Amino acid sequence: MSFPILSAIMLSPGLGLLAVLFLPRENKRAVRWISLLSAGLSLALTLYAYAVFDTTAKGLQFVERVLWVKSLGIYYFLAVDGISLPLVLLTSIVFFTGVWTMWDLEKRVKEFFALMLLMVLGVYGVFMALDLFFLFVFYDVSLFPMYPLIAIWGSTRKEYGALKLTLYLLAGSALVLPGILYVYFQSGLFSFDLMEIAAAGLPPSVQSLGFLLFLFGFGVLAGLWPFHTWSPVGHVAAPTAVSMIHAGVLMKLGAYGVLRVGMFLCPQGLVEWSPLMATLATVGIVYGALVGLAQTDLKYVIGYSSVSHMGLVSLGLATGTLGGVDGAVFQMFAHGIMTALFFSSVGHIYDRTHTKLIPELGGMAKVMPRASFFFILAALAGIGVPCLASFWAELLVFINGFQVYPALGTAAVLGLVVSALFMLRVVQRTFYGEKNQKYAAAPDMSAVMVIPRALLAGAILLFGLLPRLMLDTIQSGVAPLVELFK
Amino acid sequence: MTAVAPGSTIVWLTLAAMGLPFAAFLAIFFVTRPRLLPSLVISLACSAFSLAVAWWLLIHLRGIDAPLMFQALWMHGGQASIGFGFLLDPLSLVMLAIVTSISFLVQVYSLGYMAGDPGMAKYYSFLSLFAWSMIGLVVASNLMQLYIFWELVGLSSYLLIGFWHQKFSASQAGKKAFVMTRLGDLGFFLGIIVLLLNLGDLSILGLNSQAAAKLSPALLTASAVLVFCGVVGKSAQFPLLTWLPDAMEGPTPVSALLHSATMVAAGVYLVSRLYPMYAASADALAIMLAIGTVTMLLASTMAMVARDIKQVWAYSTVSQLGFMLMGLGAGSYFAGVFHLTTHAAFKALLFLCSGVFIHHFGTNDFFDMSRQGARHLRIPMVCITIAGAALAGVFPLAGFFSKEAVMGSLAELDQGIWLWAGLLGALLTAYYTFRLLFVMWRPLQPLQDKQSNPGHDDHQHSGHSSFGYGVMSAALIVLAGFTIALGFLGDKLIAFLHWQRPPQIPHHTWLLVTAILVVLVGIALAWWEFGRRGAAQEGFLRRFPALETLFARRWYLDDLYRRLTDYVVYGVFSRLCTLNDRRVVDGAIDGVCRGTVGAGWLLSFLQSGLLQYNLFAMVLVIALVGIYFLLL
Repeated sequence: MSFPILSAIMLSPGLGLLAVLFLPRENKRAVRWISLLSAGLSLALTLYAYAVFDTTAKGLQFVERVLWVKSLGIYYFLAVDGISLPLVLLTSIVFFTGVWTMWDLEKRVKEFFALMLLMVLGVYGVFMALDLFFLFVFYDVSLFPMYPLIAIWGSTRKEYGALKLTLYLLAGSALVLPGILYVYFQSGLFSFDLMEIAAAGLPPSVQSLGFLLFLFGFGVLAGLWPFHTWSPVGHVAAPTAVSMIHAGVLMKLGAYGVLRVGMFLCPQGLVEWSPLMATLATVGIVYGALVGLAQTDLKYVIGYSSVSHMGLVSLGLATGTLGGVDGAVFQMFAHGIMTALFFSSVGHIYDRTHTKLIPELGGMAKVMPRASFFFILAALAGIGVPCLASFWAELLVFINGFQVYPALGTAAVLGLVVSALFMLRVVQRTFYGEKNQKYAAAPDMSAVMVIPRALLAGAILLFGLLPRLMLDTIQSGVAPLVELFK
Repeated sequence: MTAVAPGSTIVWLTLAAMGLPFAAFLAIFFVTRPRLLPSLVISLACSAFSLAVAWWLLIHLRGIDAPLMFQALWMHGGQASIGFGFLLDPLSLVMLAIVTSISFLVQVYSLGYMAGDPGMAKYYSFLSLFAWSMIGLVVASNLMQLYIFWELVGLSSYLLIGFWHQKFSASQAGKKAFVMTRLGDLGFFLGIIVLLLNLGDLSILGLNSQAAAKLSPALLTASAVLVFCGVVGKSAQFPLLTWLPDAMEGPTPVSALLHSATMVAAGVYLVSRLYPMYAASADALAIMLAIGTVTMLLASTMAMVARDIKQVWAYSTVSQLGFMLMGLGAGSYFAGVFHLTTHAAFKALLFLCSGVFIHHFGTNDFFDMSRQGARHLRIPMVCITIAGAALAGVFPLAGFFSKEAVMGSLAELDQGIWLWAGLLGALLTAYYTFRLLFVMWRPLQPLQDKQSNPGHDDHQHSGHSSFGYGVMSAALIVLAGFTIALGFLGDKLIAFLHWQRPPQIPHHTWLLVTAILVVLVGIALAWWEFGRRGAAQEGFLRRFPALETLFARRWYLDDLYRRLTDYVVYGVFSRLCTLNDRRVVDGAIDGVCRGTVGAGWLLSFLQSGLLQYNLFAMVLVIALVGIYFLLL
């Protein structure tokens, strides 16, 4: 058996977690270094896996499959394909930059990084596991650290935000678990192996109900309208790195769940419920942008832009076409990087000025040119400027959305103008104009703290200029999947 | 079509000319920005290289008889595969030469104009970005690539219009330009999707040769009109014309760039690029003609009352773009492209001359400039007169010939109204241009107390160095040469554009005479009111205050859009959605939570711990169960 690279990527934060737990609380420096090193190790391994991934072969790669519990049919089954690998890459990038961004944290450092490491372990698990049992366990492992992370280290209405988010997501889980068990028993195989169940196929009635359970269960986490209100509130309350991971990666878990479990196991369900899903998605796209127009808190603005952008992911998935699902997966990646950059820059501004209210800021481009540059770049990516990563994703989603649902596609394209208006308005009010003298002396990012942001910005530009670097990979995973919807 | 081999000299040179301005942008923006000199050197060197390649290509390929194309796969997903490459044919070669020339001249000119501005290096990086996007747009081999660079042109203008973003009006103007053109681009984007889904091929050559044959007439018209929406936004046509006058908030050289060869010209270029496709749909041409005419007349009236020198030229740009679209809509490819070419030269010259005055006198009001002695700046004064006369259509300057070509195509139409509208437009153009020129040449008495200046771009000038004046004048003289010479190249251009087989263009002597007379009437009117000794320097519109206000307020279009955004988008949609989020969605969730807590609170009374209650409940339950069983 070759080197188990996926386990290594996943267990690297696990080892970091163990090490951090055994460190004395006072040794903050060591805690930070260990967290950064384990994140860095994951990133390096992921980049290697991404480089050697064969985009011409279809199907799973780097497979590790061991029988775990025979009587229940549970396997330790890790593998990636063209859909999950970009998301693993996303997780590695966002986690690494997130840890770096939180370097200056002083409050309960050990607990903070321990929880972060645990959460990321769970995220990796979800993206790699192809066993429903493990997938669900990892899913919950990645969700529950959220509560303490927001409630302890958060700001603005943090208890309310944390509670709301946790309850919402657990409600989602409460739909996913029956869904998994329903599929498990109905398949009659007594195996949690996702590939086996998919290969055997489920009866149409099971697919119909199962898809709905997965759509709404995972959809809550993907910010599917109208189950989205936890997300802006949660983002606002969370500390910087948690917002980054949360909006950047965790929301993708939901969309990934819909895709990997819902659409893969219940393709007929997708075909049946696709109009509903596309409608909810389109409402989310336009609605998120319109609500964003009225916000005055920078983080709320980004939160609602996430609702709008995740609507694009759902729309792409709902089309069930090659281009549409390609676009949806690309959008998950692009949106993750972009939102991480957003929160990372806002985090800096908030740390230095202790406000994120747009009317109180203004002229920040002169005060903090670096932080402003990163925010503006993310904003431009958000409104779909070409040669930045999200452009290609949105392009594919719009083309295919329009093809399958012309009216909804047109409405979604209209959202483009609203989102341009609302992003540029925020940029204008926050970064242009006269500077507020109160914050005129607030320091800009140091050169060291520029590095993680530059990494994110670099990824946006790289995949924007050379989209095939990402799309070739994605397509190798999506192509076999969309055959199921024919 | 000839596909060129990937390794040939032409490919390398063209790709380098396309890519170097972007490299310059990256290098300046991320590396050399703190140091001015290397930034300037990089930017000018890359720009000069593109210029040299563009002219070399134009001369080298002057005899080609088939388009040259090179394309590599850029992106693919589903049925959409998008190439990146270039298409060299007479149209793109001519346009490439125009774009690189103007952007190089603007860069040279800016050496003087922007000297001393703290953001000068950043300014040059944005200029390079602009040049890159425009070059990519011009040589694009397929419609999607064109759209991508089209959006990048929009981004660059957003950055440059709002360059002095600490000023509210500047950032506002940049945002307005971006959002309004984006509104038009929606149509363009949908048009591309319709074409893609129905043809499966977006290459320019493919669209031009096959769209008419493969699409049903209704679908062809629909997609042509949708694509035209983008043109309406970008070329500031009715009803999306109000962003352009505001766009002069940017530095004046940027206005020169924006108004002549880039941004707004992109719209007209797109129509020319897809002209065979448009020509196949009579309805699309009719719409184009109507929109062009309305825009031309509206913008001319606005220019008649403006006092801000840049605003006069901005309105005239809108009006002249309308005029080009009239030519194209009337069925003459050559007329539209010819006017685009000559307009690029004289409009750039007009703005750059105005820039010298603005820089020198610190005001945008040309009455004020005149009082301060604008006529003593000889070179810009002569140049602005040449350019103004070209704009008005005075023989033998460039504008005369190209306007004549457009008029000729209008005369071919069945309805006479278009020609009359064109002549009326020419009259108004001659009037407002010479109004400005006469005011500049014949000053009023200086005012005793100097008023505060309206909206000069108040950046830090490093005094008025002779070097600055020198480079600015040099750029002016080169452009003035073009303005004089270009008109005589019409025959060469028509032959080149039509692959050496020019169509017969009918000549109407009566039209020539009429057009010249109309222009003379316009000039005479301007002279009577502004130019003669002892003129009151008040336009005849002063006597119709309602009309004057209507023109000055831009026909209330801006107010209409302002209200639409404020009351409908913000006031209704945004507000309703926000309320829905707070009250309905969140309200329902919080309601569920409160319901849960409340139910728990109610149930908690059962656990009172008092024995009597427990006993009572027990008896009650037993009694109920007993009754239940007894009754069954």
